[in-house]
Amino acid sequence: MAEVSLKHITKIYPNIEKTKKHHFGKKAAEPEKKSNLKVTDEGVVAVEDFNLDIADREFVVLVGPSGCGKSTTLRMIAGLESISGGELTIDGKVMNEVAPKDRDIAMVFQSYALYPHMTVYDNMAFPLKLRKVPEDQIDQKVRQAAETLGITQYLDRKPKALSGGQRQRVAIGRAIVRDPKVLLMDEPLSNLDAKLRNQMRAEIIKLRKRINATFVYVTHDQTEAMTLGDRIVIMKDGVVQQVGTPQEVFNEPANLFVAGFIGVPQMNFFDGHLEKTASGYVLDALDTKIAISPETGKALEAAGVTSLDVTAGVRPEQIQLANADEPGAMSGTIDVSELMGSTVHVHASVEGYDFVLVIPTIDFDGALGRSFADGAPISFKFEPNAVHFFDKASGKNIIKP
Amino acid sequence: MANQQPQTLASEARHKKILTIVFTIICVIWVLPVVCVAINSFKLNTFVKTETFALPTEESFAGWSNFITGMTFGNYPFWSAFGYSALITVLSTALILVCCSMAAWYIARVDSKFCKVIYTLCIFSMVVPFQMVMFTLSKTADTLKLNTPWTIPIVYLGFGAGLAIFMFVGFVKSIPLEIEEAAAIDGCGPVRTFFLVVLPMLKPTLISVGILEIMWVWNDYLLPYLVLDINQYRTIPIQIQYLKGSYGTVDLGATMAIILMAIIPVIVFYLSCQKYIIKGVAAGAVKG
Repeated sequence: MAEVSLKHITKIYPNIEKTKKHHFGKKAAEPEKKSNLKVTDEGVVAVEDFNLDIADREFVVLVGPSGCGKSTTLRMIAGLESISGGELTIDGKVMNEVAPKDRDIAMVFQSYALYPHMTVYDNMAFPLKLRKVPEDQIDQKVRQAAETLGITQYLDRKPKALSGGQRQRVAIGRAIVRDPKVLLMDEPLSNLDAKLRNQMRAEIIKLRKRINATFVYVTHDQTEAMTLGDRIVIMKDGVVQQVGTPQEVFNEPANLFVAGFIGVPQMNFFDGHLEKTASGYVLDALDTKIAISPETGKALEAAGVTSLDVTAGVRPEQIQLANADEPGAMSGTIDVSELMGSTVHVHASVEGYDFVLVIPTIDFDGALGRSFADGAPISFKFEPNAVHFFDKASGKNIIKP
Repeated sequence: MANQQPQTLASEARHKKILTIVFTIICVIWVLPVVCVAINSFKLNTFVKTETFALPTEESFAGWSNFITGMTFGNYPFWSAFGYSALITVLSTALILVCCSMAAWYIARVDSKFCKVIYTLCIFSMVVPFQMVMFTLSKTADTLKLNTPWTIPIVYLGFGAGLAIFMFVGFVKSIPLEIEEAAAIDGCGPVRTFFLVVLPMLKPTLISVGILEIMWVWNDYLLPYLVLDINQYRTIPIQIQYLKGSYGTVDLGATMAIILMAIIPVIVFYLSCQKYIIKGVAAGAVKG
């Protein structure tokens, strides 16, 4: 139904004073965290040169740490925040100066933002009533949406008589009753407890198949981003770091920040030196020389690397336990180990670098705790293919174009 | 430690007893004037001064005669004083509630120097005593024709705005901004956002501000006395003042009866709304 296109979108707050007052409550603390943001003569740059074309019915997730500008971007799409520069189009029409109510969008807020004096039914009927939809159609649409979300039995209740999960369903219901072109969600699951969050996440995936809307979803939780998004936009300090499918951002992170942000536990980083030799590339790191596989070597050659200081990264899941005398094995000591159930997260230090290993417990024998005692030596290795290379100076992925 | 605990509990209980007694005494002192008014309104005039605190006896009991005397005293009909009092009270309170809630919403939500100045002025107006401005005010009110029961609410709006805006701003600030943003996305302009979303949420504060303003306007004596044309329009407090005879003689029994009649509506109103006033004051007070 609707494509959303953001061209060179920029948000500048004239000064920090002003920023503080634009946001009440929880957001008042944001300006302090925004210390990494670029400050120009015009003010603080909260979002810088944001470019994104969102296809019809696509599910795009904006993700990043607090104060990275993801919510501001969403609020600019909603029309709740003015756009300092660039052009926003929805369905081909420029929307920069259009009032929120005329953009044909709906929004779900983190705090639900239900009308406390109205019943669930009235909350959901409110946007339709304002659009002068006939009474019988309102009734039909509200009941249909309530059915979809499983809140039919609560229609006569006031929001305060509902639990957090139910309130969030009502908020989603209010957003979907009028079939908006674009559905904006601002951290809708952050106020829910962990179990409910997983459940609602699955419901959003189901919901998404049932309604014809383009989704823009903001979260700081990378799990939500990975599971929900068709495409993920990773932001930091108001600047887009990478746009891509969940596989792309996981397998080919554009830079150190993306590599560290996506994936739990975080990717392990260590410094090393990459050298081209007669037999191929060799990574000299952690007192070990690791021969790089020919495929990766080709890509490195294409990138024009001969000798370079790099930061290398390996995902914890791609590290295997090894014997200390195996070729390519690295040795260190265990700092702490956490049993997660199906896996054990072992934190080890090797040559001053912290490593996290995810070791499956399924084909494990013997007592777990004793195997990974604190301070015990540990040896591990990883496939050379699993290593990501980042330029030590710029943090950019060397191989990814 | 185990031995000490029962002792502490016992002393705590004793403290509570003492406090209960102290506060009971304070309560009795507090309601005594009202009780006196009620008792004396049923006594013959001559007994009011001599047996002020005694209950009416067979000898001193006057029945309803004090009420009849009070209501028919002089040449001004009591019911029209009652009517003007009610009219001024209702109009003023309505005006204060509507205007101040709107103004407070604007002040709380729009961040500008102008709003800060207005807010400060409103707060400041609470500090200025009425007596300081009353003569210039009565002259101004005369000039602007604000001296009728239909226009005096505008003067009350000016005097009531300080407290009302202070309370409303405190409460509006405690309402999450997201709700209004949701309304904007759902299709409300500023006017509908205010009347359909913000105003219903302000209900507890509306009621508590309403109660405070009603009690104040209903009981106010000085402002209507100075501004209104006394021969034409009288409110109940003014009418009570006129019960005084021309040579300084006062029919105390009748005065008490009229005072009681003036008190009753406010007490009834307060009792029926008191659960809201506490809720409202607390609601506004949490975040200021």
